[in-house]
Amino acid sequence: MRGDSTSMRLGILAVVVLSLFSALLARLWYLQVLSAPTAQAEAQLNSVRFIYTEAPRGRIIDRNGKVLVGNRVVPTVVVDKQELGEKPEVVIQRLSALVKIPPEKLQERLDDLRYSPFKAIPVADDVPKEVLIHIREHQVEFPGVQGVMLTKRSYPHGTLAAHVLGYVGEINDSELTPRKSRGYRAGDSIGKSGVELAYEDDLRGQAEVEKLEVDAQGRVLRSLGRQPAVQGHDVRLTLDLDLQKVTEESLVLSLATAQATYDNESAKRFLAPAGSAVVLDPRDGSVLAMASAPTYNPADFVDGISEMTFGALQDPAGHYPLNNRVTQGLYAPASTFKLVTSMAGLQTGLITAQYTVNDRGTFTIGDPPVVLKNALGEAFGPVNLAAALTVSSDVYFYELGSRFCPGQCRTSIQDTARELGMADFTEIELPFEASGRIPDEQTKQRLHDSNPEAFPDPEWYTGDNLNLAIGQGDTVVTPLQLANAYATLANGGTVYAPHVGGSILDVNGVEVRRVEPRVNRKTAIPASIRDPVVAGFEGAVAATRGTASTAFAGFPLSTFPIAGKTGTAQVSGKQDTALFTAFGPTTDPRYAVTVVMEESGFGAAAAAPVARRIFDHVVGLPLTPMAYSVARD
Amino acid sequence: MALDLRSAGRRSTSSWRQVDLLLVAAVVGITAIGLLMIYSSTRQGQAAAGLDPGYFVKRQALFVGIGAFVLVAVAFVDYQLLRDHAHIVYGASLFVLLLVLSPLGTERRGTQAWFQMGPYQFEPSEVAKLALVVALAAFCAAHRGQLDSGRLTTALGIAAMPLLLIYLQPDVGTGMVFVAILMGILLVGGASPRQIAILTLLGITAIVIVLELGVLKDYQRDRLSAFLDPKEDVQRSAYNLNQSKIAIAAGGIGGRGLFQGTQTNLSFVPEQHTDFIFTAVGEELGFMGATTLLGLFGLVMWRTWRAAVTAKDEFGTLVCVGVLAMLVFQVFENVGMTMGITPIAGIPLPLMSYGGSATVATFAALGLVISVQMRRFS
Repeated sequence: MRGDSTSMRLGILAVVVLSLFSALLARLWYLQVLSAPTAQAEAQLNSVRFIYTEAPRGRIIDRNGKVLVGNRVVPTVVVDKQELGEKPEVVIQRLSALVKIPPEKLQERLDDLRYSPFKAIPVADDVPKEVLIHIREHQVEFPGVQGVMLTKRSYPHGTLAAHVLGYVGEINDSELTPRKSRGYRAGDSIGKSGVELAYEDDLRGQAEVEKLEVDAQGRVLRSLGRQPAVQGHDVRLTLDLDLQKVTEESLVLSLATAQATYDNESAKRFLAPAGSAVVLDPRDGSVLAMASAPTYNPADFVDGISEMTFGALQDPAGHYPLNNRVTQGLYAPASTFKLVTSMAGLQTGLITAQYTVNDRGTFTIGDPPVVLKNALGEAFGPVNLAAALTVSSDVYFYELGSRFCPGQCRTSIQDTARELGMADFTEIELPFEASGRIPDEQTKQRLHDSNPEAFPDPEWYTGDNLNLAIGQGDTVVTPLQLANAYATLANGGTVYAPHVGGSILDVNGVEVRRVEPRVNRKTAIPASIRDPVVAGFEGAVAATRGTASTAFAGFPLSTFPIAGKTGTAQVSGKQDTALFTAFGPTTDPRYAVTVVMEESGFGAAAAAPVARRIFDHVVGLPLTPMAYSVARD
Repeated sequence: MALDLRSAGRRSTSSWRQVDLLLVAAVVGITAIGLLMIYSSTRQGQAAAGLDPGYFVKRQALFVGIGAFVLVAVAFVDYQLLRDHAHIVYGASLFVLLLVLSPLGTERRGTQAWFQMGPYQFEPSEVAKLALVVALAAFCAAHRGQLDSGRLTTALGIAAMPLLLIYLQPDVGTGMVFVAILMGILLVGGASPRQIAILTLLGITAIVIVLELGVLKDYQRDRLSAFLDPKEDVQRSAYNLNQSKIAIAAGGIGGRGLFQGTQTNLSFVPEQHTDFIFTAVGEELGFMGATTLLGLFGLVMWRTWRAAVTAKDEFGTLVCVGVLAMLVFQVFENVGMTMGITPIAGIPLPLMSYGGSATVATFAALGLVISVQMRRFS
């Protein structure tokens, strides 16, 4: 019945159909056989979400196990702005009634820029458990709202040791990039300064990871497993909580006392805006106390710091409370530097311990002659090295300083300074340490090159050496370097890298790692050098003529002899910096103390009383009442 | 005489014995897989929303029941009756297509294509496909071998009228099915190779114009062209396509197992129980399952083609060819779309996709084929 033509056309139709089906089969083969592995991975990615919850950081405790930084579990209401739904104002209104916080306050929190865009924003802290339960039971009415138990950093002693402890904040881009491979994610917390930063790797725990199956709408269908959080390790510091308290309180008290004292030289009260104090154990370089004033409250950084608070911390008028002046402050060491000059003089043989200078109160140098005076122009008469240290005779040290310079000055003083660890980082584990500067021909040239107007003369003269000899001029050190140099004298020549970390403990208190003392260098200090210098320093504390004798009046020096040196640094355009550095007992040195106070006058008057109270505490005596004592240096 | 008696006897009593059981078996197989896949791809979403997980599969089972009944009813009627009353069938289809554009019709997602009837929707364009098959087959059969340009124009006009009405809805996908039916019937029904070539060229030009001149709404053009570069904008149209391909490919050779596909279970593929039902087959039953399904479709095509070859008259042949063209195009376009080789156009997969009108219309079309096939000797 069919014509050939129709048969042929039906044949063509069959071919078309067959080829279309072949195309489908080929494509199916390509997808299901060749692309299956990648597609399976993609399908997996589609349906699985990982929820990370940061683990609590480890605690920071003092050498006796007292908690300095702990954790607090806080029932908190958090809000995810993106999930609030179509009528956020209604949800906020409802939440406001529940947590009894006005809606404007809630909105203010939600709009506050300090909060991480990667996390739900905490809007109400320390809420009753019933509120959390209510939210969970009425989740439909509270889209995007969650009641969670947040672990927060807590500071049981407030601002105590803030500069040592440091603070924690949200990780920023430049911190995140190198740490991505180590599991850090945007929004994570990270130590920003102090021990929190130095021991970040120990303190940080392992986040909880929850694997969830979600559908295309992002609804969570079930949990596919949970890897629980591992709390970070505790860091036990070498700090002694009680000594730290005494140190901080004494420093603050002394600053306040100076502020109430009239300065004849500048004809106004001392500004005494800032200061620092540090106590080292000379036997291993461990830090027993470290105080810097003004201070800040690390708790302000929990949950992100408000812009206003942070602004205040950065305001020059506030004297930068975030700076740890013990490691970052740079000060002319003044007479405390005579330790270095003395050792250099003895080492080079330019003087002996018996070498005597008749101090008439002045020293004349150059042509035309320049007359240099002792502080207050006092004349001490004939003084040998120990006596010169005890009374702080500048004339003696001008004479000694000039002896390095027949023609080209020798760099023995600088060399000795370096031997004692100055002009270089002490390598304490705390971040942002300053290295200080011991001037010589090269540094002077460099200063001139960088700023010819402020430093017009690139050459090194004898006058420079005289300034260096009494720790003035371009010489600057950190209080920690100064303490460490005296600790080196105290322990017989070992320059330790100071450290605040003692050991790392796991969550059960079992020691994971010890922070071993590190030796930066060893230098030989023979008795022939040590004895006259220490004798001079002991005299400064104990002898009637000693510069610090007033501050240490009544201290049991016979059982606990102390070697100390006062210093008063001139700073152009400012009131004098008060310094005092000491160690004791000299028979078996266990404490090296340095106190530096800006614009506070004589070291003996302002700084030595702080050290006195520290030693009072160490020997178990009641703390001496603070008084701005009369003194010369 | 004896011959007459024999054929008379067949016609009156035993033409049902001629029913192609292979075709019926393939249809039953596809329908069963379809119901299973609709259940698989809807149960979890329904359950998550606190609804009856079996809601969609139960409704589809009802549609299949109605479809089976319609199939038998259509097969029972001698198809030659349809030829004689083709103008009525055609006219009625135009009428309902007009009616759906009136306020009586319902709009959904920008397309006015449905009558809402209680909890059910009726989509007249599905039935209009069959009316077009009947009308074109009747016209071409009446002018066997003599499709001069005047008659060709008439044939084109017959297709153009419902096409225009569907374009007004607008429903691009269904419109493309109409073109496929037209081309199939013209190919077998007597258009010269030259005419076919010209029509093909015209068709391509029309597609370009439609795509380029903003005749389509943005979302329609996006969907149609997403298959060209699905990586470019994963968020929008191409998202569907990417998820669809991931689902199919993730199935691998053996599939992830019934009810085990995450793409299927977690609703990553939109419209999965309707237009994208093939992805559920691909993911859960794998290459084996998908080729089995395509094999069953191939069986349906082959038996329909056999019915066209063995039909006792030209009209019967062309009706089968029309149905074949319709089914082939829909299967190719739909399955191809889920795999990214054809544009995304809202065309359901015959006998598989959830949807009453399409299911019943497909069964009716197969009823036509059986009607032709079982009367091939009469």
